Amino acid sequence: MATQRVLPQSKETLLQNYNKRLKDDIRSILDNFTEVIKTAKVEDETQVSRATQAEQDHYEMHVRAANIVRAGESLMKLVSDLKQFLILNDFPSVNEAISLRNQQLRALQEECDKKLISLRDEIAIDLYELEEEYYSSSCGQWDGVELPLCEVFHRRDSWGSPTTTSDPSNSSMEDSERPIAQETMPHHLNGHGSSTNEQS
Amino acid sequence: MANDRLRALEDVEKEIAVVLQCAGTIILELSKEKHNASLLDRQLNQFQTSINRVESELSSQIRYLTQVATGQPHEGSTYSARKDCQMALNRAEYARVKLGELGRTCELMLDPQT
Repeated sequence: MATQRVLPQSKETLLQNYNKRLKDDIRSILDNFTEVIKTAKVEDETQVSRATQAEQDHYEMHVRAANIVRAGESLMKLVSDLKQFLILNDFPSVNEAISLRNQQLRALQEECDKKLISLRDEIAIDLYELEEEYYSSSCGQWDGVELPLCEVFHRRDSWGSPTTTSDPSNSSMEDSERPIAQETMPHHLNGHGSSTNEQS
Repeated sequence: MANDRLRALEDVEKEIAVVLQCAGTIILELSKEKHNASLLDRQLNQFQTSINRVESELSSQIRYLTQVATGQPHEGSTYSARKDCQMALNRAEYARVKLGELGRTCELMLDPQT
């Protein structure tokens, strides 16, 4: 009794109602079934004629059978109400269901982002190679606005600075250093000449 | 945990159907001139077992609900996780669309007939 909970009146009333319905329905099924079995017994002595007694027994059995079915359907309705009450008010299981769903969604999101990051890394590698090929060919020209990725890595290697990127905000600073850098630019790895020097 | 209790209630529904079916079978058997005593015994045992099981299971569920019900609405939600996941899927879809466009552009450039 020390763990007696104080529920709101409506919830407590509702649960008491469920208990009552359960008891009543079970009692109804058992009583009506017992009475049907008793009525099935053939009596030797009857107060009215056999035909009347048979008719009365027939009608009584119909009513009791209908009562058994009604009590069964009432029990099904009770089970449905209990399911609804459980879904809405069983907080431990609702919390568990929410946390499980959150875990699944977060796992899916992390997997998605991991795959996107690996895709980005692969595309960056391919882009580096493509830019290297393009800008070291006779068709490639710098317009001085965006630094190609291959040049970024070349400069980073020559300066030893890890922070150089193809960011436009850095390009203005690097533009002023370009004439000096172009003279000191190492030969391309594939053996192409420094075509930008020739073009400038 | 929630699924176990809901599954138990679904089993209770099946048991209620068994109760009614056993009652009907017993009365049908009694209506015949010659009764099959073993069938009657089996069906009666099944009837009693099922109805006791229904009562005990429903009582325990109501007892459990009396202990855990608070009367307050639950305010938990999976909205934030769903939104984050939806954004991640949108990012992936956008990347897929852009890569598709890039692929088509490359094919157009490489195709000598166009």
